[in-house]
Amino acid sequence: MGTQKTINSLQVFLTEVGDISYFAGRFFTDVFKRPFEFKEFLRQCYNMGNRSLLLVGVTGFIIGLVFTLQSRPTLQEFGAVAWMPSMVGISIIREIGPIITALICAGRIGSGIGAELGSMRVTEQIDAMEVSGTNPFKYLVITRILATTFMLPILVIIGDAIALYGSYLVENIKGDVSFQLYFSEVFSSLEFGDVIPSTIKSFFFGFAIGLVGCYKGYNCDKGTEGVGLAANSAVVYTSLLLFVIDFVAVLVADLFYEL
Amino acid sequence: MKALDKTTAQKIKLAIFVIAGLSLFILGVYLIGNQQSMFGSNARIFATFNNINGLKIGNNVRYGGLNVGTVKGIRMVNDSTIVVDLTIKKDALGYIRKNAKAALGTDGLVGNMIINIVPGSEEIGLLNAEDTIHSYRRITTEDMLSTLNVTNENAAMLTADLLKITRAINSGEGTISYLLKDSTMALNLEQSIRYFRQTAASTSKMISHMDDLIVSLNNKNNVIGLLRDSVTANQLKSVVSNLETTGNDMNKLVANLNATVTRAKEGDGAINYLSNDKSLVKKIDTSVNSLDATLHNLNEASIKLNENLEALKHNILFRGYFKKLEKEKEKQLEKEIK
Repeated sequence: MGTQKTINSLQVFLTEVGDISYFAGRFFTDVFKRPFEFKEFLRQCYNMGNRSLLLVGVTGFIIGLVFTLQSRPTLQEFGAVAWMPSMVGISIIREIGPIITALICAGRIGSGIGAELGSMRVTEQIDAMEVSGTNPFKYLVITRILATTFMLPILVIIGDAIALYGSYLVENIKGDVSFQLYFSEVFSSLEFGDVIPSTIKSFFFGFAIGLVGCYKGYNCDKGTEGVGLAANSAVVYTSLLLFVIDFVAVLVADLFYEL
Repeated sequence: MKALDKTTAQKIKLAIFVIAGLSLFILGVYLIGNQQSMFGSNARIFATFNNINGLKIGNNVRYGGLNVGTVKGIRMVNDSTIVVDLTIKKDALGYIRKNAKAALGTDGLVGNMIINIVPGSEEIGLLNAEDTIHSYRRITTEDMLSTLNVTNENAAMLTADLLKITRAINSGEGTISYLLKDSTMALNLEQSIRYFRQTAASTSKMISHMDDLIVSLNNKNNVIGLLRDSVTANQLKSVVSNLETTGNDMNKLVANLNATVTRAKEGDGAINYLSNDKSLVKKIDTSVNSLDATLHNLNEASIKLNENLEALKHNILFRGYFKKLEKEKEKQLEKEIK
């Protein structure tokens, strides 16, 4: 009985992975096909990029402040406060900035896409689009996935900059460190091996958020319960997938840059 | 129209957002590239090492504590030589001599590996692009462990020898064992220490006295203090000088006396005659005896004369005269008193 349940769960999981893979394959097939829904793409970019900026900015700023405040006493014990800019810079650029921004976007954008497309599926708007001759996959899915893929790296970069500024403020208040010295220390400790892998993985994070959100919304079950479930599972699956991608990205980056 | 305006505003906001993000990215890349000497005019030089201790591409190169370049490549050319490609700012290359040395170091206690270029001597020419500099051999952990291994072996041998000695002492062999086990030795040692303590106390007292003495030597009230006085020293110098002169005079005098005595002894003068003629001595002796008898007679005569004179004083004929003499004497005495 237990074995059968496990087999069923495994079957469901593999079916889900297969469906998502098929969905991703369809995305890569259709993304280069005309017509290009450029206006919708820009609209989605605005919705996902500009409208997430405040949330990402505030979160990044607080992360920078808190991270520096928490680390400072420990570094002070070792007399290594001068290493604070290097430590914060590497941590934020390499890991904290991309993953925190992606998780925030998974919560805000992923659930939004899941709920929006789910409700469109439930209210048969997607079916209506198909009837009217508009390709709903190109109009709804491809534009959203592309928007998340291209907007997330920009959000990560801006989030990193704001987090570093927050960290600088703490250092300036507590340690009387100048702006020039702080950022000089940050960039002297950074290498391309820190910036490039984290930027590349941000594209994958964005793609994963868009893909899972769209998949869950596009394949939503009928009924209002299905919309909620689509939004919820979009966030859960995306969050899990983000950590998996992060793990793979670190392994690959280690091969190329010897981190 | 309104919808179009909204779309245009959204586009502008999106453009600002994208431009801001890309600008930050480009700025970050530029700053990192600048730190790694990717921009600006650079030159390539090489440094040879036997051991690079985990040096990586991108590590900093410093000259006089300044970051002047980065490590661009690392390759092994034979079993004991590793060549490191260094990108150096051309401005800095104008100060590095051909005999400059490369040394591996760390940035801080546990920081990244860095290459420090140690300046060469001024009489040697400047380094050119594509030149190679040699390196100092750095003490590696393996070297330290190897030395430590030898030290450990020595320590083991020492411990073994010490064990033998301890066993021999415990079994009562040798002088040390005898010294350790002899109880009278301990008593003697205790007594010696007591004496030594007393001696030390006495010595301390003596040193204290000596100290007082030395202090008192500086006091001008005593002889040595006086001797230390420069005025006294000058006076003494003068006295010595005078003594020397006197001594010379005395020498001359003695020489003269010597000559005089010699002449008196050997010459024909009265002194020689007086000192050598024995009959003359007898004659003188006889004369002295008769002179002595004569003086005795004279003495007796004078006593008798005194008696006669005393008798005359009491004589009526001469009493007045003597009274008169006494009165004159008294008058004379009163005058002197006044």
